Parts: sequence; C-alpha cells; structure tokens
Amino acid sequence: MEIKGKVALVTGGGNGIGEAVAKYLVKNGAKLAIVDMSQKNIDRVVGEIKAMGGEAIGVQGNVTSEADTAKFVKATVEAFGQLNIVVACAGIIKDSFLLTLDKETGKVSRKMGLDKWQPVLDVNLTGTFLTLRDCAEAMVNGGWEGILVPISSVNKAGQTGQLNYSSTKVADALLPKIIIGEFLIRGIKNVRCVGIAPGYTATPMVAGMNQDALKAICADVHLGRLIEPEEIARAIGHAIENEAINATTLEVTGGLCYKGGIAK
Amino acid sequence: MKSFTYNDMQFTVEKAGNAWDIKNGAAIVAAGLFPGVADADAEAKAVALVKTIFPVGVKVVGPDVNHPITVGDIKYFPPAVNHANFVYWNKDSSSQAKW
Repeated sequence: MEIKGKVALVTGGGNGIGEAVAKYLVKNGAKLAIVDMSQKNIDRVVGEIKAMGGEAIGVQGNVTSEADTAKFVKATVEAFGQLNIVVACAGIIKDSFLLTLDKETGKVSRKMGLDKWQPVLDVNLTGTFLTLRDCAEAMVNGGWEGILVPISSVNKAGQTGQLNYSSTKVADALLPKIIIGEFLIRGIKNVRCVGIAPGYTATPMVAGMNQDALKAICADVHLGRLIEPEEIARAIGHAIENEAINATTLEVTGGLCYKGGIAK
Repeated sequence: MKSFTYNDMQFTVEKAGNAWDIKNGAAIVAAGLFPGVADADAEAKAVALVKTIFPVGVKVVGPDVNHPITVGDIKYFPPAVNHANFVYWNKDSSSQAKW
C-alpha cells in the first residue's frame, strides 16, 4: 500500500516512537490523526506537522476507554473521509518484581500489586485491542485498504522486572496471526496486520535512564547503540508498503543479544 | 475566519491556503483539512468535527471547596447551580417526566 494520500491514526502519537512514526508518515504524504493522553503533546505535534506542511488532527483520548476509541476513529473519518493505517503505539511501563524478599529474614516483604499489573494490561493490551478493533471495523465497513500495526517489544522474550509489560507485549506480538486468521475465515481481504517489536529505542524515557545502565544495554546490542525512533518508523513504513508482509511481528532491535552472544 | 464557543472553549476556523485550520485558542486542533471545500461547508464540517473531538457528556462543576456548610466532620460541597452547564435532572433530562 502506498503511504501517499492515505490516512493514518497513531495512538501515543504525542511523543517517542509514536511521534516519530507520525512525522515519518506525514513526510511520506499521509494525513494524520494524533491520539494521545496529553493535550499539550498533541498540540505540539500537530503544530509541528502543520509547520511541515502536513495535514493532521489531534484527539485527546484514553485507549482503555471504548468511548474514546470510538471518538477518535469517528473524528478521523470525519476529518479525512477514510482510515487506512493504524499504529497502536500507546503504552506504559510499571516495572516491579513479582516478589521481593527481606534481606534478613528471606521472607516475602513485598509483592507486585494490582496497581502495577492492571494499568499496564489495560493500556498495552486492552488499549491495543480496542484501537485495532474499532479501526478495523471502520476499514471493513468503509471498504478501505488498511493495515493494523500493534507495537510489541523485544521484551516479549521475557524481561525480569517486567512480568506485566512482557505479558502484554507477547500478547501484542500474537495479535497479527489471530486477526489475519480470522479475517481469512471471514473473507476480509482489505486489511492486513503487522506487528513491530522494537528493541531498546532512544525515546526520551530510555535516553533519560541511568547512563551506566544504558551503556550495559548497548553492550548487548550488535549495532552498539540504541535504535532511533525514526528507524522504527521506517520499518513500519516498509511494512505498510510491502503487502507480502502480513500476519507477523517484525523485530527491529539492532541485534539485541543475551550475554554470550545468543540473539534474543 | 469563523469563531465559535463550544463547551466553554473558543474555537476558530481559519482558511490556510486551499484548506482549513481549526484552532482552540493558540493550539492547533486540526491543520490542512477539507481542501477545496467551500467556506460555508468547511465551517459546518469544522464545527461538527470539534463536537466529535471534544464531546460534551456530563460536565462536573465543582465541588465548591470553599463552601462553609459542614455536618460534623463531613463537609458538603454542593454543585454550582448557576453555572451555564448545570443540568437539572427533573427539567433537562429527556428520560424524566416533566412537571
């Protein structure tokens, strides 16, 4: 599918990977709906897209709310008359170990609470589900050529301290296979689904980490550095343009390895 | 340029070249929309789009944290009944019988 002239919706489009994806798609001729929780970020990104000469709307929305997902899909179609590309970037982390032991007694002193577990599932998995579901509904009913892009993570491999996050990202990575299988059964031929699993990416959140920890991460990456958000955006652009890529999740990690050189 | 107030917010619809921008104060809500559409149609579409992006459901007004009424340790904060968006359930709700 050619990007030029298509209409894209990016959740979490107010910063990080979502912002980079939105701007990449604008540069390549797409019209954009920026969805984010932060009105301030939306205002900034839409303003910058206008300065680029692009077409965009900004919609404040919470992806965990059915009312909000319905709202931003409706607004996108009202503004641009169709919807073709959906990139579900909205995501959060709330890292914690399942159990923490008291150093002196060896007994459990703390356990991961629902306050760490549930919001991550709500945003990263339920939010992605609602976004893809409602966008797919619009694409099918509108008869528009489309692609759904859930964002997974290399940490779907199972990152300690991220039982919540990794659980959502392994589920997000599986979505394309199930969705396209169901589309095949239902005879839905106009919508593809391709997940993207970024490695450690130079978003403001990661770049702001402890620098020693960051160096240790980069030591495990064959590329020797963090992935740039624009590189993730280009991978998404390739998935959009190459219709043979479907029902799968592509990893863009720079060659992230376990200790000892086994690629994750 | 058309200006309108909706849900306590001031919006403007401005022609930008061949297309239209919608602003909420200084913030750009939408840029480059409805290219080539006639002025009146573009303005109507813009108003409809604003209503979709900023839906009005139940707007909570208050509480009035400076209200002096207390009962024991409980402080009651009534709504601001004079606010323009205050809804009387027995007068304004379509699901209630009018009397």
